[in-house]
Amino acid sequence: MTAAPATHVGSAAGRPARTRRPRLPYPVWVKGSTALVIFALWELFTHVFAPHYVARPTRVAAVIPEVVTSSEFLAALSGTVVPIVQGMVVAVVLGTVVGLAMGQVRWIDRSLKIYVYGLFALPMVAVLPLVTMWFGYTEGARLAIIVFAAFFPMALSMYDGSRSVSRDYLEVASSFRAGRLAVWFGVVLPASLPYVLAGFRLAAGRALIAAVVAEYLIGIEGLGFYILLNARSFRHNEAFVAVLALALFGILTLFLARWATRRWCPWYRQGAG
Amino acid sequence: MTTTTPTLGPAPAPAAARPVRRRRSSALLTYGASLLAGAAIWELAGHLIDPVFLVPFTDTVRRLGELVASGELPTALLASAQVFGAGLIIAVLVGLPAGLLLARVRFLRVGLEDWITGLYAMPMVALIPFILAIFGFGFTPKVIVVFLFAVFPVIITVYEGASSIPARHIEVARSFRARERHLWRDVVIPYTIPFAMTGIRLAIARALVGMIAAEFFLAVSGLGELILITSRRFDTAAVFATILVVCILGVLLLALGHALERRFAAWRGPS
Repeated sequence: MTAAPATHVGSAAGRPARTRRPRLPYPVWVKGSTALVIFALWELFTHVFAPHYVARPTRVAAVIPEVVTSSEFLAALSGTVVPIVQGMVVAVVLGTVVGLAMGQVRWIDRSLKIYVYGLFALPMVAVLPLVTMWFGYTEGARLAIIVFAAFFPMALSMYDGSRSVSRDYLEVASSFRAGRLAVWFGVVLPASLPYVLAGFRLAAGRALIAAVVAEYLIGIEGLGFYILLNARSFRHNEAFVAVLALALFGILTLFLARWATRRWCPWYRQGAG
Repeated sequence: MTTTTPTLGPAPAPAAARPVRRRRSSALLTYGASLLAGAAIWELAGHLIDPVFLVPFTDTVRRLGELVASGELPTALLASAQVFGAGLIIAVLVGLPAGLLLARVRFLRVGLEDWITGLYAMPMVALIPFILAIFGFGFTPKVIVVFLFAVFPVIITVYEGASSIPARHIEVARSFRARERHLWRDVVIPYTIPFAMTGIRLAIARALVGMIAAEFFLAVSGLGELILITSRRFDTAAVFATILVVCILGVLLLALGHALERRFAAWRGPS
């Protein structure tokens, strides 16, 4: 109860003491019992208050093997994951280049900033009906909305990164007569890699939301549509397995970004979360 | 202070100081030119492309005027604002104490941090069909959706802020025999406020997404309804006009979030 956040006492040498998530001795029983309490409360509440079809932990767990091996679920899984990966590749490449150019070239910055910023602030869900008018109720519309959702956080994050590159690096590069492309992709891009990864994390989250929302509205095969269909036919336990799959996908991208930051940007102290 | 970058990025490195004042007027000029050029391109493209896909800028503005005059847009805006406001306020009221408790109470932190990280990474839209089935149509389920979208960034940033308090601050307070209650009042809460503002900024952005999603997929209402209905009628001008309004709303709310963050960033002091 009174435990002050433990800090890295040993690492106090010169470094500011704003240490991140304290390393506690790993009390597995606390995690385990919290999980048990949560599941028990959930089970109890749904048992007492909710209609019988509402998802319960025991029933969800019971249907997992059946659902995970069913062909509909697998089709839905690939239906969502494949376009997200495709859209992310497009958005990451385009967003990185545009953000980099904006951070390095003043007129590009000035002419695009309003639009990138404005469209970043616009929830992509709102654009979805427009996209369906353009692409029809097709998978192309889903891909388009994924790219749209992921591009702007990517570009904006890269823009921050490429602006914050130390002047010294750029001066050294130019004193060695490095060309513009060499500076951009040899100096600025590696130096702002943490921003690329932070942008990736944000973009992946948005892409996931976009894909699910698109499937709801358009009604094409995917995890979102799988959830919608099963929830409508009162098969909440089956639908919840798809929710777990989506959560897992979100957590995986989070860990991927964290791991990559540690692996490739060891100089960069990253925040938790 | 360079802590006001627009994304949920890593804390930005201190940028080289620039002469700000002199550039401001030229920046405004180029931004104006950029807006004008954008409007001109939109106008031109609108005349060339099939009006079902894209309507010229001027037609969009005219339709916007009609929507305002007919009262459709103000009504929708009000309905949306209620959902947004209620959800966001509840999210902040729940998120702030939850984040603080998480940072200060060890067994809660250990027990719940994985859950919260997981829920933060999970797309909340996936829960909408369940919310629809359980809570039905109406105002409350929409507020629940906005709440779910907005609460986790608040919890997580507050938690991170409160658990990054330098140990020496707490030690000093303790050596003056501060109890946990005093520690909260004089150290934990003041130290965490700037972080909470960052969380609120993130929550605002997410709440807006949640609001539109709730209005699309639960009982249709507000701005979401306006977009959905006009798109089904192929009233492209109205779709563009409403999206423009949502976009401006998003920019204004984001600016508000940044202003809040900047206002309290001075508090953060040298870390």
